Formats: sequence, C-alpha cells, structure tokens
Amino acid sequence: MKQLCVPATLDALEEIGKYVLDATSQAGLSPKAAYGLRLAVDEIATNIITHGYDEAGGSGDVVVNGELTADTLTIVLEDTGVPFNPLDAELPGEEELSLPLEERAIGGLGIMLVLKGVDSFDYQHVGGRNRNIFVMNRTAA
Amino acid sequence: MAFDAQLTVTGSTAKITLTGSLDAASAPRFKEIVEQAAQQKPTRLVLLMNDLVFLASAGLRVLIFAKQKMGTGVDIYVVGSQGPVLGTLEMSGFHHSVFIQDTYAEA
Repeated sequence: MKQLCVPATLDALEEIGKYVLDATSQAGLSPKAAYGLRLAVDEIATNIITHGYDEAGGSGDVVVNGELTADTLTIVLEDTGVPFNPLDAELPGEEELSLPLEERAIGGLGIMLVLKGVDSFDYQHVGGRNRNIFVMNRTAA
Repeated sequence: MAFDAQLTVTGSTAKITLTGSLDAASAPRFKEIVEQAAQQKPTRLVLLMNDLVFLASAGLRVLIFAKQKMGTGVDIYVVGSQGPVLGTLEMSGFHHSVFIQDTYAEA
C-alpha cells in the first residue's frame, strides 16, 4: 500500500482517517471492524500530534503505512515526537467508567478505545522513531 | 465528512445537532457551542446525533466538560446515535450518566 506522510497537525486527522478507511475497504473488513481501526488510529495520531509534537514545542510529520496479507491488515504510524508507549498508560477501570460524568477524570479513555478497537496493538521505539502498530484480522467475523 | 454543530434554544432546552466527524480537530467547535448553550442556563441539553458518523475521545471529553460546566442539575439526552458511535458511548460508560434515546420526545 502507498505510504502517506502528513504534517503533524490536527487537520491531518481527516486524511489519515481516509487512508485507514481505504485500507479497510481493500482488506474487506466489516464496517464495525473498519470503524474500530479508524478510531484507534485517530486516537493515537491525536496523541502524537498533541503530546508528541505540539505540547513539546516540536513539529514534524506522521507517516502512515498499510500492509495487507492474506490474514491481516496492519497499519503503522511513525513519528519522531516525544517517545510515548500507549501501553504504559493507566486505563479507566469499570468503577471509573460507571462514575457520573461530573466526577470523571479526563484521561485514559482514548487509549482504552484503541485497545478495544483493534485485534492487536504494539508500540516500538526504534532509531529515534515511535512506531505504533495496529493489526486487524481479515478472517474475524 | 466535515463536522458541524448547530444550537437551538427553546425555553429551558438547548438542542445541539451534530453532523459529520467529531474528533480532536472538530472538538473545539463543539466545545464552543456547548459554552454558548451553557450561557442560556438550560435545564436540559439535547444532543441530536443521527448524522454524527464518527466520535473520538476528544468528543467524549467535551460531553464531560458539558456536564461539569452546566452542573449536575442539567440532564443530558443523546438522541439518534447508532452503530459504532453508540458503541463508543456505551464502551466509555456514558450510558450511566446521559439519557440515550432513539427519538426525542419534547419535554
């Protein structure tokens, strides 16, 4: 699949979303699976743009790659922003999720949606680059 | 799909019609509309989501903001959300705090 390279700004989320949806359509994923993957990639891309670059006073690109095999669709986001492993984030537990909205903490929801939306997620930091890897099974119901 | 949010206030009910994709890029616009609605001091906030096709956590955070800004006395109704958008609301536990309805019955 062709690579997409976009400047790390929130306006790029739409283009990243289109790239992901095109990939899911090539992979023949169900609408529900396609939505879950798009949401997962959107959440991580948002974190990269906001925390990895913007709040750290940096700028750069987000590179998106898609790879299709007989069994899986893999989307990889790469950036050179501040290293951050989403798997280290503290996720809201059942108790937190059932609190009234006025008592809710703001953090952790996005990463929870990432992990619920994809079949597998991994993070690597290689050669100064963050790599966020999202995998969807093509054979899943 | 481009995001749009339209506010109408009738009596003590503020209604916001949401269309398109609500992500981190469009959430500030939604937040602005919620702030405008809050100024009218409604007792009921109705969010019409029939045409909202995508909802990211940045949008959920605006809902939390709405409840915190307007106070616990304001009931929030989420109307017409479906499919994965509704799934995201439920997964995030928002169905415990807002009234989720298929269609809105006027108060």
